[in-house]
Amino acid sequence: MVRLFFLLLPGLIPSWEFFKAIEPSPRVQWRLFSIPLEDGEGWNEFRPRPQRLSLLTILRRLFWNPRWNDSLYLVSLSERLMLNPTQHSVDEIFDRLNFYVSAPDPVEEGPLNLQFRLIFVRREGEQITESITYISEPRSFRGRT
Amino acid sequence: MTLDAAFRATEVLIALAFLQQSAEFMLRSGVERAIFAVRIMACLALLFGAQTELALLVLVVISLWMLHRFQGPYNGGSDRMSLLILWCLTLAQWMPTLFWQEVIFGYLAFQLTLSYFISGRVKIVNPEWRSGRALRDVFAFSAYPVSENLRQLSTRPRLLWAATWAVILFEVVFPLALLNQTLLIAALCIGASFHLSNAIFFGLNRFVWIWMAAYPSLLWFQGRVFGDVF
Repeated sequence: MVRLFFLLLPGLIPSWEFFKAIEPSPRVQWRLFSIPLEDGEGWNEFRPRPQRLSLLTILRRLFWNPRWNDSLYLVSLSERLMLNPTQHSVDEIFDRLNFYVSAPDPVEEGPLNLQFRLIFVRREGEQITESITYISEPRSFRGRT
Repeated sequence: MTLDAAFRATEVLIALAFLQQSAEFMLRSGVERAIFAVRIMACLALLFGAQTELALLVLVVISLWMLHRFQGPYNGGSDRMSLLILWCLTLAQWMPTLFWQEVIFGYLAFQLTLSYFISGRVKIVNPEWRSGRALRDVFAFSAYPVSENLRQLSTRPRLLWAATWAVILFEVVFPLALLNQTLLIAALCIGASFHLSNAIFFGLNRFVWIWMAAYPSLLWFQGRVFGDVF
């Protein structure tokens, strides 16, 4: 109950300090494998943004935008994982990856493992740089269950 | 706007905003889907004015479940505003006297005003915002632009500088709109357009509907406290 109270409090007394500073921005990458891979091998960006959106899609997204809103939740989870790591954040990210990632066709030999990592993108001087800030332990890939 | 009319308008707008939010969770499964289905039913009751006190109470209980389920807001600022409106509306309706109803609904109007003013204040004191650099960074590497093409806007510094200052000035002078009802209506139209542009560029569609749901409280508050000063 105490925890719930502290989760509720910022809703009832909000700070409203939107975009106070432009912080490093997270990207979630994932990989599926049945045999161990090298550190940098096999990573895919989760939900890469499209090159462009049509006017119709923009209008539709005013009313129906579940995937994007879920991606914003992933941004929050990634930031939480860096500031205050909890099992909840890790489980939530794995849940989404299991739901949306498709197994390769045909399925590789042996059981598949799923792993994710977080890349934080920032500006340093005039350069945009990326750094790997978190790599999860692999878990058995269960797909949409 | 009378207090009763503002209550009713807020009920309708929050019901519509919550319907939009909840529909997106129908893609999930299990308990999560079932609870959001209950939320949809409570929203429909609120929308059509049936058992509104009970509907609000159900929505409050579900808001606590959501905080527990997502260990905080699911959708950042829009969830915070959702909580604020819902709890103020519910508490105000349960208050035994008109005085306390007005205090609580006035608090919502005050927070809405602060939501613009504080957002502007934190930007105007930050040199990166004042130079337009911050908005360039938002387009260049943040997670928000909805398409890769939009990242090209980060190479238009003068355009983004102008856009930054338009937003900052609107936000910091917003409280002055309380001095006159026509001015306030104009300011709320600009505010809604601002949220609409955030939805178009950054996919923040929930902000549009939930911020507009708080507008009736401010229209009532302006008439109740300020009237037309000039």
